[in-house]
Amino acid sequence: MATSSYFTLFELPPAFEIDLDLLAARYRELARSLHPDRVADASEGERRHALERAAQLNDAYQTLKTPPLRARHLLALQGHEMDLEATIQDPSFLLQQLEWREELEALQEAANLSGIAAFKTRLNQSQQALGRDFAPLWQNPAQRQVAEQLVRRMQFLDKLSLQVRQLEERLDD
Amino acid sequence: MALLQIVEPGQSAQPHQHRLAVGIDLGTTNSLVATLRSGIAETLADAEGKVILPSVVRYQADQIEVGQSAKEAAAQDPLNTIVSVKRLMGRGLADVQQLGGQMPYHFVAGSSQMPFIETLQGIKSPVEVSAEILRVLRLRAEQALGGELLGAVITVPAYFDDAQRQATKDAAKLAGLNVLRLLNEPTAAAVAYGLDTQAEGLVAIYDLGGGTFDISILRLSRGVFEVLSTGGDSALGGDDFDHAIADWVLAQSGASHDLSPGEQRHLLNLACAAKERLSQVEQVELAFAQWQGVLSRLCFEGLIEPLISKSLKACRRALRDAEIEAADVQAVVMVGGSTRVPRVRQAVAELFGREPMTDIDPDKVVAIGAAIQADTLAGNRRDGNELVLLDVIPLSLGLETMGGLMEKVIPRNTTIPIARAQEFTTYKDGQTAMMIHVLQGERDLISDCRSLARFELRGIPPMVAGSAKIRVTFQVDADGLLSVSARELSSGIEASVQIKPSYGLTDGEIARMLEDSLARAADDKSARALREQQVDAWRLLEAVDSALNLDGERLLDSSEREAIEAAMLRLRAAIDEQDAAVIEQRIKHLTQVTDAFAARRMDATMHAALAGRKLDEIEI
Repeated sequence: MATSSYFTLFELPPAFEIDLDLLAARYRELARSLHPDRVADASEGERRHALERAAQLNDAYQTLKTPPLRARHLLALQGHEMDLEATIQDPSFLLQQLEWREELEALQEAANLSGIAAFKTRLNQSQQALGRDFAPLWQNPAQRQVAEQLVRRMQFLDKLSLQVRQLEERLDD
Repeated sequence: MALLQIVEPGQSAQPHQHRLAVGIDLGTTNSLVATLRSGIAETLADAEGKVILPSVVRYQADQIEVGQSAKEAAAQDPLNTIVSVKRLMGRGLADVQQLGGQMPYHFVAGSSQMPFIETLQGIKSPVEVSAEILRVLRLRAEQALGGELLGAVITVPAYFDDAQRQATKDAAKLAGLNVLRLLNEPTAAAVAYGLDTQAEGLVAIYDLGGGTFDISILRLSRGVFEVLSTGGDSALGGDDFDHAIADWVLAQSGASHDLSPGEQRHLLNLACAAKERLSQVEQVELAFAQWQGVLSRLCFEGLIEPLISKSLKACRRALRDAEIEAADVQAVVMVGGSTRVPRVRQAVAELFGREPMTDIDPDKVVAIGAAIQADTLAGNRRDGNELVLLDVIPLSLGLETMGGLMEKVIPRNTTIPIARAQEFTTYKDGQTAMMIHVLQGERDLISDCRSLARFELRGIPPMVAGSAKIRVTFQVDADGLLSVSARELSSGIEASVQIKPSYGLTDGEIARMLEDSLARAADDKSARALREQQVDAWRLLEAVDSALNLDGERLLDSSEREAIEAAMLRLRAAIDEQDAAVIEQRIKHLTQVTDAFAARRMDATMHAALAGRKLDEIEI
């Protein structure tokens, strides 16, 4: 099944590195041109249609805005979606995952705010490094396995970011 | 032969006729209605020239009072005078019992866990009480504008969850209002502010009302209002400031905390007045029962400090979610009467590093913003300068998974409308049904989240465990309301879904309320006809629902059942359309479709009677 390109929708060249400000500006333009629903006199079918179009636009924007989702979308454009159910065979990263998690737990125990800030910075840097690795090879079918592995790592770090944010919130008192 | 002119439904014969639409701010303490007239937004006043309608409803034996007169009677008639009903909307009985001392009403459980209040006119749900307020505003608007309303935009706290939003929509329906949109209060305020000042950039709306607190961070950009994040507390507001003062008075006076409801209301009224005075002066004198004392502004500020702190914490979270710093915000707008308290303004200024904007009337700004959007949605603005509102869902939506955990399907602050799907599979061989529990909230344990609905997926083709692929799709519309659908992928069958909202009104309850309102309504003939059809529709739905529960499994095959449920869905949709003729048509259709089922039930009953056997022994 061919995936329609969200990049085309936003008139951006398909790439991992994108101009986020430009994406945001295009999103706002598209949102405007989708016409605020004239809810009062539209038929049930028209309203449902408008709702679907708006939901699709929002989904497209979320996907391109979020690095792991953007990466997955790029891979989907190459012909087939990533299998999310597949078991992870990434032993070296597994070790890193454990280390990241343990460190976060320790920071949590110690309620160490400056430690958390430093952790966030390193996390950020790792995420960017993954992006830099992914950017040149997603189009190469021979590199498909590697690309998918990078996406899985991105997803893990994304989840970790969320946990850091939850921790910050818990400590904010 | 002259050609007949065919007009499309919804289009008036005069296409440039202005459609009557209003914005309604249904507040915890006060409500307002506003509209656009000649391009200018204005709040509408009652016969005495007052625009603010206190959100107080008093049920007397022979009449229902709404507004100022009800408010003044609250201390004398505390059990029948409902104050701050918004705090009860979309809440279950258990939540309400937690509010305990704060609300003296006698609560009774409804059929669906919704808390009903005992009054002189019988038991009333919070939805009915809110409908009384909305009805007054509708009549006020129709009178002022000289005609029937096409619809209204009704505001809700951004932090309201699905149950609270549904309850608000139900109240509007009961009041005879066509809801054009449920609009988040801070977004409404941003619209009023943004259009007034032509501002661009990052704006924070700090909205502290009587019972709810919202903080929204928006980006304004050439008519596009994009909410970046929203946060808040749907149980934090000016009422809590009043309670803090009341508790202080009781502590100071040594009086017992065991007050009668009348005394309690009296004390809260005093506290509220004192709070308002302290925005002007440095100290106030208070007298309660035998006690007299002085409350200084400083002391008051100490009392409310923990409450203000709570609001600031929500602000910091919203900033983090928006991924911006407080300093990046270019303007902070204060909304809601409680933001007149000097310490609140000070605290907000400290957080954002700038003085908040206070010259916009904090009482009216929400209604004005709603009126502006109502105008657009009614189709009055075609100048290409329509405003575009991109709002978000305030709380994550998810499902219960193994082990009592909540798995998020749509995270908070996702722009709406949005649709997301999650896939499930069966865990037993031959499993044909699955229970799905939909929740809203941020915590991991389901017990810490709000239960929205449970539904059963039926009709899954029997397969080996783990091979069925069921895709459950969550759809959140522009009102922030959730609907769920499901499909079994390997066979392509649309599995039937029936949602039982955990805190919603049952069909029977809605039918009864509509009947009650019909009996009293001084509505014109067409509104009556519509309401009567709606009552018939709810009653029929209730009857079919009950029949399905009792005999559906035994007497219907899955395609027959699907046909009936489809007809039920279409009838429900028709009720919202507000067209009596369509409702009548769909009632006929549902009756037709259930004809065979009814006959079978009759046969089964007769059969049993004739054969003298029990009904559940009979095989069809």
